[in-house]
Amino acid sequence: MKVTLQQHGGIAAGITRRPQTLDGDRLPPDEARELEQLVAAAAESPQPEQPQPVRARDAMSYTITVEHSGAIRTLKGSDGRMSEAFTALLEWVEARLARSR
Amino acid sequence: MNNTSSFGHATNAGRNLPLNNTCGMRCNRTSVSCIVPPHILRRLIEKGAKNLSQDAFRTLLTTAGLRGERSVRAAVAFAAAPAHGRRTISDCRQGRRLESARIVRTEDGAPSADPAVNRAFDFLGKTRDFYKEVLNRDSIDDRGMRLNGYVHYGNHFQNAFWDGLQMVFGDGDGELFDDFTKSLDVVAHELAHGVTEHTANLAYHNQSGALNESLSDVFGSLVKQWSLNQNASEADWLIGAELFTPSRPGDALRSMKAPGTAYDNDLIGKDPQPDHMDRFDALPDTEDDDFGGVHINSGIPNKAFYLTAIKIGGVAWQAPGQIWYESLKASSTDTQFQEFADTTFSKAGLLFGAGKLEQEAVAEAWREVGIRVAGAPRAARTGVSSARPAWPVSASGADLGLGEAVPDWSARIEALGAELQRVSREVAALRAHA
Repeated sequence: MKVTLQQHGGIAAGITRRPQTLDGDRLPPDEARELEQLVAAAAESPQPEQPQPVRARDAMSYTITVEHSGAIRTLKGSDGRMSEAFTALLEWVEARLARSR
Repeated sequence: MNNTSSFGHATNAGRNLPLNNTCGMRCNRTSVSCIVPPHILRRLIEKGAKNLSQDAFRTLLTTAGLRGERSVRAAVAFAAAPAHGRRTISDCRQGRRLESARIVRTEDGAPSADPAVNRAFDFLGKTRDFYKEVLNRDSIDDRGMRLNGYVHYGNHFQNAFWDGLQMVFGDGDGELFDDFTKSLDVVAHELAHGVTEHTANLAYHNQSGALNESLSDVFGSLVKQWSLNQNASEADWLIGAELFTPSRPGDALRSMKAPGTAYDNDLIGKDPQPDHMDRFDALPDTEDDDFGGVHINSGIPNKAFYLTAIKIGGVAWQAPGQIWYESLKASSTDTQFQEFADTTFSKAGLLFGAGKLEQEAVAEAWREVGIRVAGAPRAARTGVSSARPAWPVSASGADLGLGEAVPDWSARIEALGAELQRVSREVAALRAHA
């Protein structure tokens, strides 16, 4: 499983933010399983609908692309508008990416 | 902390609940099962239920999903006691659920041991004071709306945002970005989004969205300049200069003076902001493309404000700030660059006299960024007259020339009053230290 995080927008929207990839195959087995569970839960919890009118300002948005067994799945969330499961996945991925830097 | 209100629904006293999770409970996607029926809320408002606390009103608003209705919010504000921008700072403790944050400092409470908490508290206060003393505006909604700030949001969160009800700040990653409470202009920028929402409510996409962003940069910078008592020529006109870590000295998020020059390095690329309409970037109106580049194309009106301030001279929060504030209030959801420019030209004439230094400066500033305001003379001028008129402008109609509009005296008197208060405070401070 390969997970790629791409950030967009925010108050620093102009800066270049490069996608960051986490290779699940390089994780310890227990963490790899945990990642799979988090992905599955996030996939089952779609992003809450955008309220109209949009009121959040300078919110960042996040695209998590999951490649697994030949399939590609895209999950999305944004500051103030993300499911709990997506939040958990995002925070987990961000922490692992920070650790690997 | 959740408490059950008398309506049998979970509340969160003192909080403005987050946009996407009205009650902190598991709700249906439509949230229908989690709201107080609107007809009950309206009846309470009509009856002026003064026995309900302001916190209860706010909880009712958030759980009723009516917070987007400005008329309802305004009606409730009349029934509730004015808060005069009282501040509450909450610590998210690296979480992303605002309802789980812990209140760590209140308006009358002692300073915290946490510098981020104190910075957010102090900077919200400076911003609130700016709006009151310079623009005679009582907090975000001009009715004393509470100022709620949330710090330590997320883990190494590299952002600050306004969620429609409150301001949220991350700690940065410590490599590229520092704590987002370290920048006064960023704190003021976020609060200014609330002011815009309660005035023009500029739609957050394309040109109106870029104006929305620009106005937050304008007033963010003005708060900083006011706090430092800087002339327009002394100010750095940078947004977020304090956010980058010491390893990245000299960078800022944006430059109002020179859009496109705030940063240029291998890590984060080159500042993409344009400084002229010829370089307007018509990005797609999607979340991933910054809703049509609202943080990108804001460079154009940002530059126009900077030029206006420099051409007028003195401190930017006086004439330029007054013109832009009045223009913000006169704008609407779909206002585009041209219309806003025209409004600033008109307001400059009303406030300071048609054909005077201020109005000429506004017209020239917009012309330099590629927008010709309606009503400005087509003939080229050699430059803004260096002769400053007496301020305020004489009341005699003859001084304004034939066919020119009578100035907006109420706005001028209000501006003079604010300036008098500021000067009186400075004199009092000098005497105290004499």
